[in-house]
Amino acid sequence: MNELENRLSDYIDSLNEEQEPEQQWGVADTPEMEKLLATVRTVRTLKEPAMPDTGYPERLAQAVTAQVTASKGSQEKQKRAAGRRSPRWVFPSVAALAAGLLIFAILSAWSGLFNGDVVYAMEKAVARLSNYHGIMEMRTQNAAGEEWPVRQVELWWEGEKYAMRQEDGTLTVNNGERKWQVRPESKVVALLPVVPDPVKTGFDLRDEAARATKYPHHVVGTEFIAGREATKLEILPPGGLPYHLWIDTETHLPIQLQTAMENSLQTTYTFAAFEPDTKLDANMFVFQVPEGYELEEEDPGQLVVAVEEAAAISRLSPLLPQEAPERIFAFEDRIVLDYGDTVIVETAAEGSLEPVPNSALGTAAGGPLEVWWERLRWHQGGLEIQVEGPKRIQLARQIAPDLALPDTAMDLVSKAQVKVPVELELVKANQQQVDRGSSPWQLDPLQVAVTFVNLEVTPEGIQGEPEIPFSAFKVTENNGIQARVEVTGGPIKQVYLERLIRQDETGIWTVVGYDPR
Amino acid sequence: MFVNTVDVMNKLKKNDPREIEQICKATWESLYRFIYYKVQNRQEAEDITQETYVKALNYLKEHEYADQNFLGFLRAIALNVIRDRWRQKKRRGIPVNFENINPLATMTQDHQKEVVQRILLENALAKLSRDQRMVIDLRIIKGYSVAEAAKQVGKTEAAVRTAQYRALKNLAELLAENPETGVTKQ
Repeated sequence: MNELENRLSDYIDSLNEEQEPEQQWGVADTPEMEKLLATVRTVRTLKEPAMPDTGYPERLAQAVTAQVTASKGSQEKQKRAAGRRSPRWVFPSVAALAAGLLIFAILSAWSGLFNGDVVYAMEKAVARLSNYHGIMEMRTQNAAGEEWPVRQVELWWEGEKYAMRQEDGTLTVNNGERKWQVRPESKVVALLPVVPDPVKTGFDLRDEAARATKYPHHVVGTEFIAGREATKLEILPPGGLPYHLWIDTETHLPIQLQTAMENSLQTTYTFAAFEPDTKLDANMFVFQVPEGYELEEEDPGQLVVAVEEAAAISRLSPLLPQEAPERIFAFEDRIVLDYGDTVIVETAAEGSLEPVPNSALGTAAGGPLEVWWERLRWHQGGLEIQVEGPKRIQLARQIAPDLALPDTAMDLVSKAQVKVPVELELVKANQQQVDRGSSPWQLDPLQVAVTFVNLEVTPEGIQGEPEIPFSAFKVTENNGIQARVEVTGGPIKQVYLERLIRQDETGIWTVVGYDPR
Repeated sequence: MFVNTVDVMNKLKKNDPREIEQICKATWESLYRFIYYKVQNRQEAEDITQETYVKALNYLKEHEYADQNFLGFLRAIALNVIRDRWRQKKRRGIPVNFENINPLATMTQDHQKEVVQRILLENALAKLSRDQRMVIDLRIIKGYSVAEAAKQVGKTEAAVRTAQYRALKNLAELLAENPETGVTKQ
């Protein structure tokens, strides 16, 4: 048994180290072992793929072009030019090892060959962190190099608890059970809802670690930040502008983040002081109203033990998943089911569901389902149900078994009778403009369709109210990548749109075709 | 992004290297991700991505192809490349499990299948005990070593290996109940 367990473990280690375990030794020598290895590989599909370094698309394009256009004789020479730049398996000979080291020394100087290790180490270090106390500085610079006054916040973080003190003394604390704000200027302690808590993710190092692994990135050098040596990473969100993250070479934790220069402004967040795994004052997370302060409640909700209790407080009849929540909060107008990383909020449904403009559409409980970032929202049984977090699909299906996600494989645009030529460079520039905060209407397929159709009607420009009004347009399908908008008046009856640069909620929509009436 | 095979064929007819580069740059990420999920190795995924483009574009240069979904076409070619590589490994005496792959179905259904597979997998994981789920998460999804995982869960390394083995055994049984997950019954 031990032998089986060890071999299985070694197999997982090899995959984690991006090796090909089968290449080294034939591990799957029994049907049972093969079944276990297949299961490991299947589970691994939940993990984000290890992406190639940033130069790969360029090298790939060149190598493929060379092989497709070259004569057969020269094809062999070009083979494998894109894939790897150093031997994958180092043969155990001194000469091969020496050659390998030399290649590494040359390449790592400019290519960031071992980026994976830096980010991997950071991800692990962040996951291992039990608590920290730090002072975060925020500096904003404009394109001319002028700097705004430095702002500072003091942070204490421990697992699910945090406290943050702003420069004016305002202290916000969330201890997992309660969230409150101590406001010295007005001598008020305000109780706030515990969940959902958007503040929490603002400085959560786990988010930065996750982003760095998700997007293409490479090492651009080493610098001293707040007196500590740090590796500087350049991170490239697809279709966006690059930004930088510095990782402490000793602790492997993020130490500084610099946003891209957007709208001629750039902000740098630096941990001017940072003590990981330190002893935090236990009283820091204990709720107490200092003497002379007044307690103000902004409907912070009540932690209840039974859902019946929550129903009585909120006067709602909640719909529940089979899986029991870790905690139930009851508010006057809503019930919150807390599953740790995923939260369900149920309120009374008012009118019909109005999906946010840049959401994709599926169906649930016989009506539309809004899919927006990590959130699902739909109406069912007189309730508006919102599920947010990594377990959203699983939990939502327990409430609405017929829930269908948008079908991203479905082709919605190729049937367009008239194709609209697209200048990709222009679309890229538009995307960057939107990333900088300008023209956010391009994130809404409806507004893009309204603008397109009205410019067809009045090519000289839209003056005042558009001739074909908003009410004539309706998004009939949107799978998050392609969309169709129906128009009830004017010369065009259907507009076809696509997210050409980035296929998520930050991607702009472009008209790629239409059907004349 | 939907790329039309007819557009690709028209671009290839121009015999302009810039057109080929543009095709690769516009579509590589989707193809690479698809291949990575199958082979679970970066270098191999990079190599297969390149081989797939060369095969697909050389084919389209000389043949007419009716299906409009270029990415679907690339995926089908990629699966054939993967199968060829597995056959080579098998010939070298390395035991390899052949998945039940149907390249034609893959062209149109693979994304839906991936979504279904993911949901089934998440459901199966939810049925494991908390400890087993944690070990699977730490070791396979987060990529921790046995020693690191042991520290996280407060157990010995041997206990982590045992928990991991039992978790995968349970999971294999749960997944075998649904053929769509790709894990088959004995």
